[in-house]
Amino acid sequence: MLETKDRADEQGTIRNFKLITQHDMGGFGGMGEGMSIQIAKDGRRILWLAHESAPKNFTGLDVTDPKNPKMVVQTDLPQPHMRSNSLEVTGDIMAVAYQTQKAGQQPAGLELFDISVPENPRSISFLDCSGPTSRGVHQLWFCDGEYVHMAAGAPDFAARNPKDDQFYRIIDVKNPSKPTEVGRWWLPGTREGDTDAPPVRHEAGKDYGFRAHNTNVYPQRPDRCYLGYLDAGMIIMDISDKSRPKPVSRWDNSPPYWGFTHTILPLFNRELYVVTDESVIDGGEDWPKLIWILDGRDEKNPVPIATCPPLQRDVYAGRGGRVGAHNLHENVPLPTSWYSEEVIIGTFFNGGLRAYDISNPYQPVEIGHFVPPAPKLSPVGAVQINDVFVDERGIVYTVDRHTGGLYILEMDF
Amino acid sequence: MMRNPATLFGAGPFGRRLSRPGAGRIPVTVVTGFLGSGKTTLVRAALAHPGAARTAVIVNEFGEAGIDDVLLRTSTEQVALIGNGCICCAAKNDLHRALRNLAAERETGAVPPFERVLVETSGVSEPGQILQSFANDRTVSSHYALEGLVTVVDAALAAQTQDTAETWTEQVVLADRLVLSKTDMVSPEIASEVTARLAALNPEAPLAHAAEVRRDPAFLFGGATRERSAFLCAPRPAGASAGYETFTLTFDAPFDWPVFSRVMDALTMLRGDDLLRVKGFVNVTGCAGPVVVHYVQHLAAQPEELTLWPTEDRRTRLVFITRGLGRDVVEALFSAFLGLVGAAPHPSRTAGERDVG
Repeated sequence: MLETKDRADEQGTIRNFKLITQHDMGGFGGMGEGMSIQIAKDGRRILWLAHESAPKNFTGLDVTDPKNPKMVVQTDLPQPHMRSNSLEVTGDIMAVAYQTQKAGQQPAGLELFDISVPENPRSISFLDCSGPTSRGVHQLWFCDGEYVHMAAGAPDFAARNPKDDQFYRIIDVKNPSKPTEVGRWWLPGTREGDTDAPPVRHEAGKDYGFRAHNTNVYPQRPDRCYLGYLDAGMIIMDISDKSRPKPVSRWDNSPPYWGFTHTILPLFNRELYVVTDESVIDGGEDWPKLIWILDGRDEKNPVPIATCPPLQRDVYAGRGGRVGAHNLHENVPLPTSWYSEEVIIGTFFNGGLRAYDISNPYQPVEIGHFVPPAPKLSPVGAVQINDVFVDERGIVYTVDRHTGGLYILEMDF
Repeated sequence: MMRNPATLFGAGPFGRRLSRPGAGRIPVTVVTGFLGSGKTTLVRAALAHPGAARTAVIVNEFGEAGIDDVLLRTSTEQVALIGNGCICCAAKNDLHRALRNLAAERETGAVPPFERVLVETSGVSEPGQILQSFANDRTVSSHYALEGLVTVVDAALAAQTQDTAETWTEQVVLADRLVLSKTDMVSPEIASEVTARLAALNPEAPLAHAAEVRRDPAFLFGGATRERSAFLCAPRPAGASAGYETFTLTFDAPFDWPVFSRVMDALTMLRGDDLLRVKGFVNVTGCAGPVVVHYVQHLAAQPEELTLWPTEDRRTRLVFITRGLGRDVVEALFSAFLGLVGAAPHPSRTAGERDVG
């Protein structure tokens, strides 16, 4: 066997992807999980990126020529305790999520921007989501120009457990200067005053909270929200009446797994769900965080039929930082998004970016990966690939959580 | 209504649609050539080139590779590092096992993450058997895709070897690309005679001179295939074909896959021994891109559907490399099947007229 040192030297590995270029985001290369593309009126293709934490808010990059991305604008957050982890663009409107470090801090909420002039994003409105038990908005989905679906707290929502502060909220933004909540849903028992018993918490050390994460809604099923609810697993919501969202089904793999169910990607033509659990502990402690494949022919009874092959724990766990699944390319229902029901592309922190052929849903096969070497000044000594977006040209954008910024790639599979 | 579980597998009958043949798998280039043809010199030069970084080369024995002096270190019993991010693996007469082990060690990080494999065959090996490895071993075919068979031909000894060794001819006719070595040791007349001889045996394969390939190994790895049309006009030396025949069939109309596969079933069942290699693009009804097919004697590799046709030409193109099985016979078989299908009455009756029994 080769010595460990050789393996560290080989941290950078790439298979069936081609690196076009890397952009360090002007030295603020810690990126969140918001990536969205705008085609500006003058034809430029602007990639909008959320930063993982303060001081930066969001960055707009001109990626018309993917070999030569140019920074168009980079904005600052008003407070160091804020983070703008998530954003989404529809037309010339951008929605940005603001979360705070502690409950009760401000500002926390949803901000809408007019980005018709990408160099000069103008705030249109702000929806306050702060509250005594709220840390604001963690994640949002905004693809139809009419509604923002988000994981958020609220001024009038008192969480029984501080970890359960963010729930599912639907905001009508048809008039972007006056965003208005039209519906909400939380896991029964998590709100102070609920008649339901509180949910049975995961054991100490594995208790990450019963709160919303991804809130995906697609035009193929506008009456459904595919809701990741961390320790409650995945929940399919009936939102045919947006004022009264109600669960259709729930699939929960934990325990024995570690919860933190993050993303549900429905593949409508194939009646499959692709589900991720996010790794949140360094050093492989919560290994294996997986991408699951579920048979969704009966949405009332989703059945797990496979997982994408897990990362080799002995190869990655010792490299530093987290290892395991997190975000997927979500077939975002916008014309600037790549669409595939055969290839799944996901991020795995120090396991990099990975692509799987799921044409046989019972036997997913890895067909490519991109694990860059540890970025300069990485605080954990390894890359932490955090999010991915693929545009309709097949150009892949993926980001590091701490310092590496943006990597632009081509697929070769 | 609950849909059949087959819907879970998606729409494509051939699995995931690929951006190019073999996409997603590790490309394998097989280098063959008669004893003393200069394979080792070529492979050594290629491995030293930056363009060949991260290549895993498989030889039968380390000693045969002639690279003892550049072996950096042995990592496992049968794998050695040779610089340039390359590794060398001794197959010890079991190519399947070597390929499987390399794939496993690559996954676990026990060997550097090589990007391609180059198999240097021993001089007397019959390339047909090696090509079949990619069709008859599930583990091998799931990790690797045959990129191409490159045959190195010694210009000085070509005529003489062809007369005495059938393996030499087989190596030439089966090749995807040909490399002519030792041209500096023969007269221009002999070099052009050999070139014409090769063109007669294998009119499809691009040809390069070994000196060029040593300078830039892209030709070896299929990165820069060139047309050889100038040579196609060369007069065909008498007796050069030795019973081998290479020809291309094209079809304008799309095939229904069951019809195409039954023609090929009939051919492989009855004349598999003589069907040395069939490769090409098939225009299949209902598929947006071409279906890539590859047969080696009795065996068929898993067909692959591509996302797009590479050019405007959407005709089915099949290259046949055969022995004692001429174009006319194969064409007649296709015509017979297509005639049968075309002659069959179309089910044109409407539902209301259907017999009820």
